[in-house]
Order: sequence, then structure tokens, then C-alpha cells
Amino acid sequence: MSGYDRALSVFSPDGHVFQVEYAMEAVKRGKTISPDPQQRHPTDSSALRTGTCAVGVKGTDIVVLGCEKRSALKLQDTRITPSKIAMVDIHACLAFAGLNADARILIDKARLEAQSHRLTVEDPASIEYITKYIASVQQRYTQSGGVRPFGISTLVVGFDKNDSTPRLYQTEPSGIYSAWKANAIGRSSKTVREFLERNHQENMDREQTIQLTIKSLLEVVQTGAKNIEVAIMAPGKTVEMLPDEQIESYVKTIETEKQEEAAKKKTGRTGTTTAAILTRPGGGETAESTRESAD
Amino acid sequence: MPSFLSVQLQLTYDAGSKTTIFSPEGRLYQVEYALEAISHAGTALGILAKDGIVLAAERKVTSKLLEQDTSAEKLYTINDNMICAVAGMNADANILINYARQNAQRYLLTYNEDIPCEQLVRRLCDLKQGYTQHGGLRPFGVSFIYAGYDHLRQFQLYQSNPSGNYGGWKATSVGANNASAQSLLKQDYKEECNLQEACAMAVKVLSKTMDSTKLSSEKIEFATVGKTKEGKIYHHLWGAEEIDALLREQGLAKVDDEPEAGEIK
Amino acid sequence: MRGPTIIKAEDDKTRQLNKHTLMAFSGEAGDTVQFAEYIQANIQLYTMRNDTELSPSAVSSFVRGELARSLRSRSPYTVNLLLGGMDPITEKPHLYWVDYLASLAPVPYAAHGYAQFYCLSILDKHHNPNISLDEGIKLLGMCTDELKRRLPIDYKGVLVKVVTKEGVKVVDFDNDRIVRSA
Repeated sequence: MSGYDRALSVFSPDGHVFQVEYAMEAVKRGKTISPDPQQRHPTDSSALRTGTCAVGVKGTDIVVLGCEKRSALKLQDTRITPSKIAMVDIHACLAFAGLNADARILIDKARLEAQSHRLTVEDPASIEYITKYIASVQQRYTQSGGVRPFGISTLVVGFDKNDSTPRLYQTEPSGIYSAWKANAIGRSSKTVREFLERNHQENMDREQTIQLTIKSLLEVVQTGAKNIEVAIMAPGKTVEMLPDEQIESYVKTIETEKQEEAAKKKTGRTGTTTAAILTRPGGGETAESTRESAD
Repeated sequence: MPSFLSVQLQLTYDAGSKTTIFSPEGRLYQVEYALEAISHAGTALGILAKDGIVLAAERKVTSKLLEQDTSAEKLYTINDNMICAVAGMNADANILINYARQNAQRYLLTYNEDIPCEQLVRRLCDLKQGYTQHGGLRPFGVSFIYAGYDHLRQFQLYQSNPSGNYGGWKATSVGANNASAQSLLKQDYKEECNLQEACAMAVKVLSKTMDSTKLSSEKIEFATVGKTKEGKIYHHLWGAEEIDALLREQGLAKVDDEPEAGEIK
Repeated sequence: MRGPTIIKAEDDKTRQLNKHTLMAFSGEAGDTVQFAEYIQANIQLYTMRNDTELSPSAVSSFVRGELARSLRSRSPYTVNLLLGGMDPITEKPHLYWVDYLASLAPVPYAAHGYAQFYCLSILDKHHNPNISLDEGIKLLGMCTDELKRRLPIDYKGVLVKVVTKEGVKVVDFDNDRIVRSA
């Protein structure tokens, strides 16, 4: 404490910039304010402790974003559901975790830059360029006077012009950006990342990539298909939002697979199984306990 | 209840702080306190019907000396296609409403079309967000309910709060007792209800959440957005007689020369 | 080939602004592309930001506004424009005529530049509001025939694009047909 976390962009004696670290907490927590008015009492922290998780996975010639989606309340207008997945340009898609309002501002800046890049260079910006730009804006808000950092992390995916290499980058409130084969941000991201580390393979096709995305999300999203949204990017194409029915059928296949595996374990038979994806022992139950130890 | 330690922490991240910053858990206390301020303001609610929208609000300042016809306290027109209800600090609301009106007119000037509802809400919320991130400022202490019409989504109802978040709703409420108002709305709301039914429901909910069971036009404000027979969109701030007529119709009106209705029941 | 002036044949003097709006331009060589791409970038930015398209009439107002602002600046753009679009909600076609002095007019048919002196009389005579796309293309053929007959430059034909509710597409147009003088 002792004031080093109060002044905005100041190092503490042991080298921390506390506001940036606290912003990372906001990423895990998500929304500052619950959409449900009944849970809105500010001192009731349990109601506020609900962030969402986002996952990005690269395949051979495809990249998939998966997002945890809050289920709509009865009186919410389903026509107007703010998504955690947004297009930066027609070839670049972004998923975020953290404060919604902050994300809106950052995405808007990125969109402006993407079009401005097209106007000046006559080519769409590369995915790395867009990522760098987003990260540089986030960095600026950790070092300028009188501002707080953006309370969001992002996953930026897409394909560069005339190129079929899938791209996946992550940015953080500190302004760090990095390229990934697969990664997760937001609530319980550590659990999901560990799952991805265990199960990611090189050269996954479209089906495998989508399946891994959904399966990794199911590690922390207990409520299943209705709380997941999936966006798919392929070279030279615009984004494809996976229809709910399809997500549901993926979830069903994954669940039956899991059950079969569990049944096999019980009977002690461990033949050559087709399931390439390892599930963590005990399924989703351990997710909660590891979440607390994250970071 | 927060423990002693956490209360002390909260003070560190709040009192005397010049700007909105993250607490160690990644929370923005200034924003949460702004919400707290709003939870003491008069209730406002909005209901989306299939042929229109109704906004209703509880007036807190009631005095016989107050000019009735000139001072709207809770409901404002922001554009030809949009009205809003406010809950919270009225001075802050005035700034935001002015900003929204200017933005709506600027859009009209640029595109020769009314601004789509969500865009106007978003512009306002972007401003609100700015006040939670940039230095030396407190967030705006107002929540809004917006009712509007555009060609993209027809009739729409939105709500926004000091954090700069917004969402679309079929029925929603802000201000004091909004929790009970919300559960009443949840209970009574019917999909495909018409504007008349929505109006009836609005006064019913207000009568239950306000302190007195009998209402009068002095205590509430009422407005509707709808479509005329010719297909033109109108919005209408109700006059005292219209409100009283509706209250009588619903059996919620305060009868003159009667003691405060709340005492009878 | 005839005449002393040769024009570039494959130049595309149009820009697609969004799915349902196309802008054609003529005027000072540098200005036209610069202005058109500036408009294109801004309209696309609107589409990205708002996840919805501006209607042709909104686009026309925006374009007029930008041109009017430029007109009163130190270095105005000298650009004449035609804006064609399909309103995605009402599914009605719109055509706007904009000149470099930033006048805007909704019109049933239009032409800019030298060509208009030859084309407008034909369009006046043969156009009616209920014309179909095929008839429209035939009418365009009558106009280009007239240009071939009378334009005092080596005229290489036109690039034809059509805006429908499905979007913008290039249509085949026979530019090599020999036209005898009337």
C-alpha cells in the first residue's frame, strides 16, 4: 500500500505498477456492475465476482474464438445483446474479457486505426499491426498522467491479406502483446490454458479446432451450449458466427465422449481410444479450486 | 457486510482519491458509489410494448409552489425519435442530456436521418466511460432509461448506468426500490402487450414501490413513444389531467379531501 | 481509332462504399481518387463501428457535407459524383447527383462531364420510372452508341456496374460493337 498504488503511473519501491496489476484483476472479474438490478448492491462483492472467459485456438488454416456468454435475463431484450466478440475490420476479429465499457472504447479506437491504415496504405492492416496498435493504446494508459489502465485483455485473430497463416495474439492491460497457438483470457483462464496446453495439437482441421475451443470452454462454463458463442475466421473470408444449434451438437458430442471415457475408466479397459483430447481428472469440479490460485 | 479490513481498504481507494482507479480486486469503487447514490433517487421505469413504449417516474420534489407545467424533473426529450428517464443527480443528468441532444442533432446534420437509438445511447455511454477512466473526475451519478424508435429495430428500450455499460430491455427500472420494481415487472410483464396495458402496468408497479398507495399527477411523470395511425412516430409527455385520468381508470388515484391514503390502508 | 486524344481504357472510376452503395466520380485526376477513397474509408468505418449500413440517402448527405466542407477550405476537391444505392430496409433504388460545388439532387438518371450533353436528351426521351434493369442497360447502350458517334476523342467504352439488393456486381457490356453514324 503506502500510496504507491494510488498515484496512477508510479513504480513502487519493489518495482510494481500496482494499477496495472489491479487492472488484471478487473479482467478476471469482468463487469464492474451486474446487469441484474437485484444484484447491484455495490458492497455485495459476491454478486460482482462474475467475469467471463474467452478462448482462441489456431488450426492449420483456421482460427477460432470461443466466448463465455452470459445468459439473458427474462426481461432483457435479446435483440440487443452486447457480444464479447467484435470485428475490428472485415479480416480481423477480437474477443475480450474485462470491463465492457472499456472494451467498447478500445475496440472503437482499433476500428478507426484499421480503416485509417486501409486509406493510407491501400491494404488491410496485418493482424500483428492491429494487435500492436491495441497494445500500444493500452500501454499509453499505464504511463500517462491522470488515467487508469484499460481493464481488459483481448485476443485478436484473423488472416493477413493474401496469406493463409492463422494469427492469434493476446494483449493485456499492461500493453504486453504476444502470439499464441492457443490461449485463454478472463475468468479461470489459467485452468483453460492448462487444458489447452495438454490438448493442443499441431495441424488441427476445422472440426478439431472448433471442438477443442468448445471443449476447453466447457472446462469452466458449466451451463453448456447456451452460454457459449463461437466465431470462426478462415483465409479471405469474413467472420462466421457458429449457429447455436451447431454449438449445441458439439457440446453433446463432447459430453457423450466424456461419459464414454469415464465408463471405460470404470471398467478398467484402456484400449486404443479414439479420444485424442485428454480431460482433466474429475472433470469440471477442480476448476473452481484452481481458479483461486490463478496468478 | 464487508469486514473491518475491507472497509479500511475501501476508504483507501475512495476517500480523497482524485480520480477513479482500480482497487486491488480490480473494482472501481467510485462507480459503485455513484450507483449507490442513484439507489436513493426516485424510481423510474420503462416498459416496451409491441406498439410503443411507456416511461414513468416518481417525482421526489413535490411542493405546491412548484410550477407544474414547466419543470419536468425526470423525463426528457433527447431527439425526435427518443425520450429518456433519469435517476440520480439531476445536475449531472442535464449535462448528459444536453450532450445527447447535441449529438443527435449533429448526426441529423451529417446524415439527414435520425440517429439510430443504440448509437445515441452508445455515444452517451462512451462519455460516461471516459469519466471513469480519465484523471481528476468523478463518474456521472446518473442512470438513464431510454425509449426510442428507429428503422433498424423498431421500438427499443435501453438502460445505462455510471460505468458506461448499457443494455437493451423489455422492461426495466432504476432508482430507489428498483429491486422490488424489477421483480414486479418480471412477474407481470407479458410479451406482446400493447401500449395501453403497459401504461396500466407502469402505474401499478409505481403505486407498489412508492411510499403511498394512492398516486396523483403531482407525484409522477409519464411519457409514451408510439406510432400514429399514419405511421408517424410520436413521443408525448403526459399532462396532469391525462395522468390523473389514467390513475382514476386504474383505481389508484388519490381522492380529494381524503386523508393520506397510506394511512387508511 | 480517331481523334488526337487517347484515354486510358481500364481505369475504374468507381468505389464501392458499402454493400449496397456505389460511387462513381469524375473531375481532377488526383482529387477524384483521393476524395473517393477518403469517403470509402469513412463509410466503411461507420459499417464496422455500428455493425449496420448507412442508407444511400444518408451516404449522400454525408458525401455532400464532406464536399461542402472541402469547398470552403484552402484546397477544395474538384470532384463530380454519382451515387447509386439500394436501401437495404425499404429495398428501393436511389440515385444521387453531386457536383464539385456540393449540390446534391436525387435524380432518376444522370451524367457528368462532357458526356451529359449527348446522353441527357436520350435519357429524357426514353426513361420512365418503371424501367426494368434490362431496359436500363439497353438505354445505357443507346447512350454509349451516341458517345461513340459523336465524342471527339478515342472512346473506349464503359465499365458497367449494377447495384441490386444482393450488392454490387460488374455486368458484361459490349463495348466493341461497331456503331454506324445515324
